[in-house]
Parts: sequence; C-alpha cells; structure tokens
Amino acid sequence: MLFFFVLPLLTTVVISFWRTESYTIIHDWNIDNYVVLLTKHTYLVFLGRSILMATAVTLISLIYSWPIAYFIAYAGGRYKLVLVLLTSAPFFTGIILRVTALQQIFGPIGIINTALINLGLKPINAFMYSNFASGMGLVYLWIPFMILAIYLSLLNFNFDLLEVAKVNGASPIKAFFEVTLPLNWIGTAVGIVLVFVPTLAASITPRFLGGVNGALFGNILAHQFGATGTWALGSAMGVVLFFVSIIAIFLVWKTVDLRRSGFTGGDI
Amino acid sequence: MNAVNPGRKLALAGQALLLILLYLFLYFPIFYIMYLSFVENTVWPFPPEYTLEHYINLLTLDNFHQGLVNSLIIGIGTGLLSTLFATMAAIGLLKYQSRWRGLLMIFYLAPLFVAHILIGISSLIFNKAILGLPGNLLSAIIANATYATAFAFLVIVAQLARYDWRLDDVAMVFGATPAKTFREVTLPNIWPAIFGGFFVGFILAFNNLEISFYNLGAIPTLPTIAWGTLRHGIKPELYALASIVNAFIFLILIILYFLLKMGFLKLDIKDR
Repeated sequence: MLFFFVLPLLTTVVISFWRTESYTIIHDWNIDNYVVLLTKHTYLVFLGRSILMATAVTLISLIYSWPIAYFIAYAGGRYKLVLVLLTSAPFFTGIILRVTALQQIFGPIGIINTALINLGLKPINAFMYSNFASGMGLVYLWIPFMILAIYLSLLNFNFDLLEVAKVNGASPIKAFFEVTLPLNWIGTAVGIVLVFVPTLAASITPRFLGGVNGALFGNILAHQFGATGTWALGSAMGVVLFFVSIIAIFLVWKTVDLRRSGFTGGDI
Repeated sequence: MNAVNPGRKLALAGQALLLILLYLFLYFPIFYIMYLSFVENTVWPFPPEYTLEHYINLLTLDNFHQGLVNSLIIGIGTGLLSTLFATMAAIGLLKYQSRWRGLLMIFYLAPLFVAHILIGISSLIFNKAILGLPGNLLSAIIANATYATAFAFLVIVAQLARYDWRLDDVAMVFGATPAKTFREVTLPNIWPAIFGGFFVGFILAFNNLEISFYNLGAIPTLPTIAWGTLRHGIKPELYALASIVNAFIFLILIILYFLLKMGFLKLDIKDR
C-alpha cells in the first residue's frame, strides 16, 4: 500500500517541479509550472469553476440525502438493507455507462427534449450541454456516497433522544439542529468529503454533459496527459487539486467536535 | 414505539416520496438504456421497433472480446489483490490492540479521499518515469487495487467487527497452529465478508475508466471502449454494452446481498 499509493503520489509532486519538453521529462528543478498555474487567468478560472461546481453538487447532495437517509434509518424496518443498497447499486455500474445513460435522458437529444420537440414545444436549453447538466450528472454519480455515509451514522443514532428533546419542549426543527445533526455530524462530514473530492476532479462528466463553458479543472488536467503530453504541468495541476482537496477535508474536519458527536473512542 | 401524530406522518410520507423520486432519478436512465438497446429507432422510440441488431453489432466489434477479457483480468486480479490486503489489514487491526489503530485506519481508508484521476496519473508517472515500466495489465491491477483495497477493507471491517476473536484463542489452546486456526476456525466464519470484499473490488476495477485508462495506454477494456464510442457520438452498440454490464452487475449485487444476509446470520448465531 505504501509502495503503490504513497510513492506514486510523491513522484507526482517531484515531477511537478520539473518540466516537459517535446514529450520528455527534463530533470530540472523549477517552479514555473506553479507560476503558470497561479498567474494565468484561465487556470484560475477553471479551478474556481471546479470548486464552485463541487460546492454546489455537495450542497445539493447533502440537502437531498438527509431526509432520505433519515427515512430509511427511521422507518425502514426490516427493509433497511434493501432500501439503502438500492440507492448505492447504480454506483457499481461504472461512471462511463452511467454518463451514457444520463445523456439519453438529459442530453440535447435526450428523451426529455425530444418529447418537448415532438409536442411542438421549445427544448430546455439547460439540458443542452450546460454546467447545469453536468452538475446534475455529478449529483447523479456521487449522491449514493452521501446517503450511505449519513445512513451508517444514523444506524447508531438513538431516535429516543428526539422524544426526550420533544418532552423538553423542542420543536422538531430545533430538535433536528440541536440533537440529530450534531450527533450525526461525523457521518455527514465523511459524506461531504466523499462527494466533494471526486466532484472537484471530475473530468468525464463535464466532458460529455457540460458545454463550451463546461470544462472543469479535471478536463484540462486530463488533457495534459493526453493530447499535449505536458506531464510536468499536469502533475503540478494534480498537486494543486490534491491540496485543494486536503484543505477542504481539513475545513470539514475542523467542524467536527468529537465530544459533541457522541464519539467514545473505543468503538472501531 | 412512538405515538404517531399527523405532522410526523406527513413528514414521513414526504420523505418516502423523496426516496421514490431518487429511485426514479437513479434507475430511469439505466432501464431506459436497456429499453433502447432493444429498439431500432433510438432517438424517439415510441412506438418501439424491436431488434437484436445492436447486440449482434456489439459482438462483432473489433476489440470487444479483447476488452471484455482485459476487464475481467483487471477485475479478478484487483479483486484478489485488494481482498488479500484488506483481509490482512482488517484482521490485524481488529484482532490486535494497538495505539496506532486510528492512524492505520485512516491510512487504509485514505485512497477513498483521493480522486481517481490522481491515482491514475500518479501511478502512470511512477511506473513510466521512475520504474521505466510500460503500462500493462499488471500496473493497472495494482493501481486499481489501491482504492479497491480501501472499499474492500470497509466491507470486511464492517462485518468482522462482530467476529469473536476468542474463538481463535480457544483453537490455539486446544493445540492448533496459527495457520490451522486460521484455516479451520477463522476462515469458515469470515468467508462471506471476504467474498463481499472480493466482489466489491472486482466490480470497481471492472468498471474503472480513469485509473485503468492511464495505466493501459492502447490496451482496451470495456470502459475504455465505451469511452471511445461515446467520444465519437453515441452508437446504439453502447446501449447493448451498458445493458449487458448493468444486468451482470445487478446479478452480482443480488447474489452478494444474499451472501451478506447469510454472513450476518452466521455471525449472529455465533454471538449467542
């Protein structure tokens, strides 16, 4: 694990300080790659767009996942396992096939727009290769993680605590924000990270669902290793991506208060 | 349990509705693709003209067979490798107390928090620039195993957490060697968990595009074929491919589900 996971990542960091010329890597220490990344307007725009997209996708997933995970954990009864597995099963069918399927529904000639045209109505522009479409695609791809993380947390949550809160005069909304959410915040935080990180690096979904302005950081990162062969710059972009992920994880982790989340230290 | 008041009933109904909407959102595209794979007029398939042509075209596609074989090799190789690592990690972590437990746990799960594309490019760089190896199936298997191990580890730990390690001690007291103890006591009890870990690793690697792609170069797998086809505009063969893979994976998941149930049952009986 150390060898095949940590070492490659370190190599990437090293190469990001070298440079590539006509498809070969030249061992020549410099920080040009980073200067380019941090001063050239386009890269910053792509990075900003990726961060914005990842934040939006994470928020939508979060808001949508909570009631669903809550419902399965609270009212699922003996069907809990089936219900939750049903939400995560599509995850296993692979990104590329799911994007293919999505294109047939929300794409420019997907079933929704074709139906509208056939009815003599105007097709919905938002489905024509837009950031909205790729955002929806990303929610589609990664929401299972969020649901699973919150659900697993809720499994260990004692719902009787809510009764206690109610007896003591808390409204349902107050009980949720003062009892349920804080006690399940670790699971929620894990869900947030598990959605945010892959979304930030997304390259396939925006490529097929996003439009001209839909390219994200992941796309141009992939481009450096494909068409242009500028591995050093690509590595630097990878490092930047990695650090943004780490910062995000750190920020989320800062919000976790172990004492308030009912963490006892022993279990697992 | 609780006195159900109208307000809560309404809230639960609302949540159930959201769940149904989510299922629709998740499954409609998948089943629609399956439907499309059987019809002639794919753009507006109403009324449908049924055909098996797309499946026949798919089977005659140049590199389809090779891609299928390669995907299976990557899937099985990654499954085995990651299950091996994950089982060792899980047993080591759960059986022996260590103050590094938390840290080790984070380390095993760390690949979950690194984007696939980064794992893909970093192992590409590592293999090519440092080790001087060309991309091949083995390097793809190893790269896939990094994050597949993390998933398999999660699955195995979740179930092994309920295993009573005193059983091993009992066997040892009665004179079994560690190897024999593992073979005759531990393994029969934990195999559903291991099996689950293997399948998760297999499925993830079988379908992986981003990691495999960067490690394989021109060697086709089913996801890279699908990607290539998608890039050149959607072809109906892709629907057929997607339907076959999806059906296959849902079948595995159903089997896995029953194995899980069996696994839980076994562990539960032992708990008593």
